[in-house]
Amino acid sequence: MTATKSPKIFTGTHGPDDGAGEATPWPDDVPPDQDDTWYPLRDDPWRAKRMEYFIAFLWVIAGGCAVGFVIVYLLGGQAELEGLLLLFAFGLLGTGLVLWARNLIPGHDVIASRGTDHRTSDPEERAAVVESLSRGTDAMMSRRGFLVKKVLVPVGGIFGLAAIFPLASLGARPGQALYHTKWYKGARLVTEDNVALHVDDIMVDGIMTVFPEGYIDDPTSPVVVLNIGGDPIKARTGQAGFEVISGANGIVAFSKICTHAGCAVSLFNVLSMQLICPCHQSTFNILQDAAPAFGPAPRPLPQLPLGVRSDGYLIALSDFIEPIGPGFWNRSGD
Amino acid sequence: MTTNKLVARRAKNSSGSRLRHALVGPAALVGAAMAMFAVLFWTAAAPAQMKPVTLSPVSIQAGQTLFDQHCAACHGVGGIGGRGPELLNVGAAAVDFFVSTGRMPLSSPNLEPTSHAPFFNKNQIADIVAYVNALDIEHGTPGPGIPDITPACNNETPTCPTLSEGNSLFMMNCAQCHDASGSGGLLSHGYVVPSLRQATRTQVGEAVRVGPRPMPNWGPGQFTDQQVSAIADYVYYLGHTPDPGGLGIAHFGPVPEGFVGVIFGLGVLLLCSRLIGNRG
Amino acid sequence: MSTVAERSAARKRAKLEQQALDWADDRFGSSKWVRSALDKIFPDHWSFMVGEIAMYCFVLLIATGIYLALFYKASDAVVIYHGPYKPLDGQSMTEAFASTLNISFSVRAGLVMRQAHHWAANIFLAAVAFHMCRVFFTGAFRRPREVNWVIGVTLLLIAMLEGFSGYSLPDDLLSGSGLRVVFSIVQSIPLVGPWLAFNVWGGAFPGTVFFARLFVIHEFLFPLALAGLLGGHLAILWHQKHTDFAGPGKTEHNIVGSRLWPQYTIKSTALLMFIAAVIFGLGGLIQINPIWVYGPFEAARASAGTQPDWYVGWLDGGLRLWPHWEFRSFGHEIPNPFFPGIVLPGIVFNVIYVWPWIDKRLFGDYEEHNLLDRPRDKPLRTAIGVAALLFFFDLTLASATDLIGNALQMSFELLIEILQYGSFIGPIVGGIIAYRTCVLLKNTDAHPIQRPVGGIMVRDARGGYHTLGASHDGHNGSEGHEGNGHDGNGHDGNGHDGSAHSEGTTLERAAGPHSGED
Repeated sequence: MTATKSPKIFTGTHGPDDGAGEATPWPDDVPPDQDDTWYPLRDDPWRAKRMEYFIAFLWVIAGGCAVGFVIVYLLGGQAELEGLLLLFAFGLLGTGLVLWARNLIPGHDVIASRGTDHRTSDPEERAAVVESLSRGTDAMMSRRGFLVKKVLVPVGGIFGLAAIFPLASLGARPGQALYHTKWYKGARLVTEDNVALHVDDIMVDGIMTVFPEGYIDDPTSPVVVLNIGGDPIKARTGQAGFEVISGANGIVAFSKICTHAGCAVSLFNVLSMQLICPCHQSTFNILQDAAPAFGPAPRPLPQLPLGVRSDGYLIALSDFIEPIGPGFWNRSGD
Repeated sequence: MTTNKLVARRAKNSSGSRLRHALVGPAALVGAAMAMFAVLFWTAAAPAQMKPVTLSPVSIQAGQTLFDQHCAACHGVGGIGGRGPELLNVGAAAVDFFVSTGRMPLSSPNLEPTSHAPFFNKNQIADIVAYVNALDIEHGTPGPGIPDITPACNNETPTCPTLSEGNSLFMMNCAQCHDASGSGGLLSHGYVVPSLRQATRTQVGEAVRVGPRPMPNWGPGQFTDQQVSAIADYVYYLGHTPDPGGLGIAHFGPVPEGFVGVIFGLGVLLLCSRLIGNRG
Repeated sequence: MSTVAERSAARKRAKLEQQALDWADDRFGSSKWVRSALDKIFPDHWSFMVGEIAMYCFVLLIATGIYLALFYKASDAVVIYHGPYKPLDGQSMTEAFASTLNISFSVRAGLVMRQAHHWAANIFLAAVAFHMCRVFFTGAFRRPREVNWVIGVTLLLIAMLEGFSGYSLPDDLLSGSGLRVVFSIVQSIPLVGPWLAFNVWGGAFPGTVFFARLFVIHEFLFPLALAGLLGGHLAILWHQKHTDFAGPGKTEHNIVGSRLWPQYTIKSTALLMFIAAVIFGLGGLIQINPIWVYGPFEAARASAGTQPDWYVGWLDGGLRLWPHWEFRSFGHEIPNPFFPGIVLPGIVFNVIYVWPWIDKRLFGDYEEHNLLDRPRDKPLRTAIGVAALLFFFDLTLASATDLIGNALQMSFELLIEILQYGSFIGPIVGGIIAYRTCVLLKNTDAHPIQRPVGGIMVRDARGGYHTLGASHDGHNGSEGHEGNGHDGNGHDGNGHDGSAHSEGTTLERAAGPHSGED
């Protein structure tokens, strides 16, 4: 579109001045004497030509990079090369566009009206809208809105609630799922490779992640079993005797699911005898029966009651005595 | 074969060929002694997949000199302990690990051992290891030997079950402290978990068996030697494989990535905006 | 200077354009609108382009996202991986993870697309945050733009959720740990928590149907919402016109800038090119989210350095900083994660949402504004904004305590304690400093870098040194120097026109030797 000077009468898109004068210009109206065909190199054709050639040069290289990208792709692809070529292809295209716009294209620093006086409607127009609305609402709200207020709205609410119910199909009810793991009386402690642990297998200062035999994939059941040597554990109420002492070995087992937000508590600081969760740095004192020592965890890690089978394998004597993992509304307190 | 086994075999041959009928008694005694030594050396120095530690007296003597100069001040003459722990049953792996990672000698007894460039060269390390190993054998209860880990696969094999097993074991047992990428982490009480990306396979294997505190340890009942080897192989792979996606930044996950994205990525684009727009 | 050939080509072009427009106008009557669109003015300040950066990042996210969606399998089904990445060969994983490995290693250009998508998401949120700060600190949310602010905050919220759901799709250990934390946060909601969590996940965590649902949310629900809200955001902006900084010739009733056609179109396209360059450049050259290193998610596994993407960092930091309080009574409990996980973002977003109305109350300003404040013009608002940013920064730092401790050899116990105190001391102190700085700058009414604040020394004919224009509060520096050849009007003995330094209004000072600057 060739730029032309705005004619004096037609000052904008809303038609000839409505007689109210420049005091109430419309949005996007421009002063009639504004010259918006100007661009910085308009009066310097030689530099303009050089600029155009330079831009062309940049764009040709950009095109070359695009072709390069296709070639790299056809040859099997390589992430760094692809990224580099795309970087230059787009980057040079963009640079050319910026140089073009800043130097060779008009439309800089144009002033126009916001038309603030016309952006909002006149009081008459607003009143007309209210009139149109009331035509309806006056009839709809007969008898002080009995039909709408006392019947339609409550029924609409019921419809809305009813519509939500199919969403319940998305999920199972929690039921007892949060209260139990898959640990059972007599379950052997097995590693991820389904190797059962013997009472002598773990060295002092050793740690292993174990699951109940048969339930290696169950996400609530991971347990860390440790050999803390001769150090005594100060047991919590109800968890006395959960550890196994065998010679110089003191075998204890705790739930690996953090009582804060459920990550796997697996860092073992042998010097301070602490288990640490990597997600939010909850720290548990092993010798205080995994009581929280630092960090946001509010409750100790539940301890798994351990026993030794006649053939020497470590077994669980029962499930944990309390729900494992993060808290929830109905979790009976401790 | 160690020199002592050769000595034992030679002794047996000479006694068997020359004085068989006349010297059965002494032969039996010597034989029993050899057998005892053989058993001791076998359990101490060369079970399956252990690197043998030299028993050469020259090496042991050189090791003793170095030990007395640099270690005895804390660990006591003869390794009996003092300000530092006694070393009479730590095993060759522990010594090799601590010295080859520069954790020992400590420049001050109050410091925590941390990984540095090693203070000794390879030969000196071997000598010190030989000396302490000899002390351990004398005392009778040597700890873990140096694991002998050879790379399981090369780049040509399309699959590598050892690497896969190593990955699985590493992710379950090591990643929580050392980070999935092996870059290290943090324990409680300020103990920094070191990066593994420059560690040798042997050092990894040693650390797993020894458990340099505050790290836990894994004995033969927890990991077989093959499993330790697999872990070491995978750790080496982590630190010595080019990143497929480009520059790895710090191998620490979303935190450095966020830095790059927000500060560098958006920063460059804000600069571009300044080039495109006005400043007024 | 056009040649004959150029003029004739221009006429031919105009004829074609006329034909096309006639065709459209016959059907849609669109000429008026098209003309107003082509002629529309957009102010040119560079900081106004940041919203555009966000918009174009969104466009590129859609483009790369569609590509990825063609290869990703949103399935929890367990498969054994057999592919180019040897350390995972033979391991069992979900199809979601396996398909992401496939994109990374077996699809040509797949890794670049995947990484570009993730980089674009990070930059998208950075741009949205920066844009929001720009709007906040310049008061662009004031009447009549309150609704656009509300739409914008909603865009931010959905963008955060979209990003989180996106990087959780591969089911890797890092993002899976994040999902576990979110499950626990939902579970912690009083009364309905467990029910809601089991509902969304289709059972206990991690469940067997989650990734199909996450896919729907990430590919469909949120992008629709974002696109629709973005459309509304732009439509309102189009109609109300963009705000602008005050300056020479600018009033509340006019607008100065580039026309949409051709100036702004070309510049905007250039911006899109630069954004594509940065995003695809990063996508190929700098590794992000190497899911093969994290491996598939398993509930028994965890990695050090478990952080979310940066824009969720403040929430994760909040979880680390919030003390271990939990409330139990009568057989019920409000678990610990509820407060940093639900209450904190709830308060934050509610305050942000109603800020335009708080702002009105605070400054008693119910007027319409098309010209922007400079941050110094409203010290209280700027101070509150700075305090808020320091708060988020403190919490974001807290999410990286283990990495910071590793780098600086500090314990996380000490770091967390420092950041706990810092979360309220920092904002208070920072807010006060910001407030004072704004007041100071406002009084000088010039940027200290543009204009020296303080005295100017001159040397008179007799060799003595005198300070003129002593302090920034407009002191007449020539008082008391009459005896040295100055006259009372501030002209010194050397004939310098001391008008710049005489008593006067700030406007006069601005017209002194340093005039010509804004």
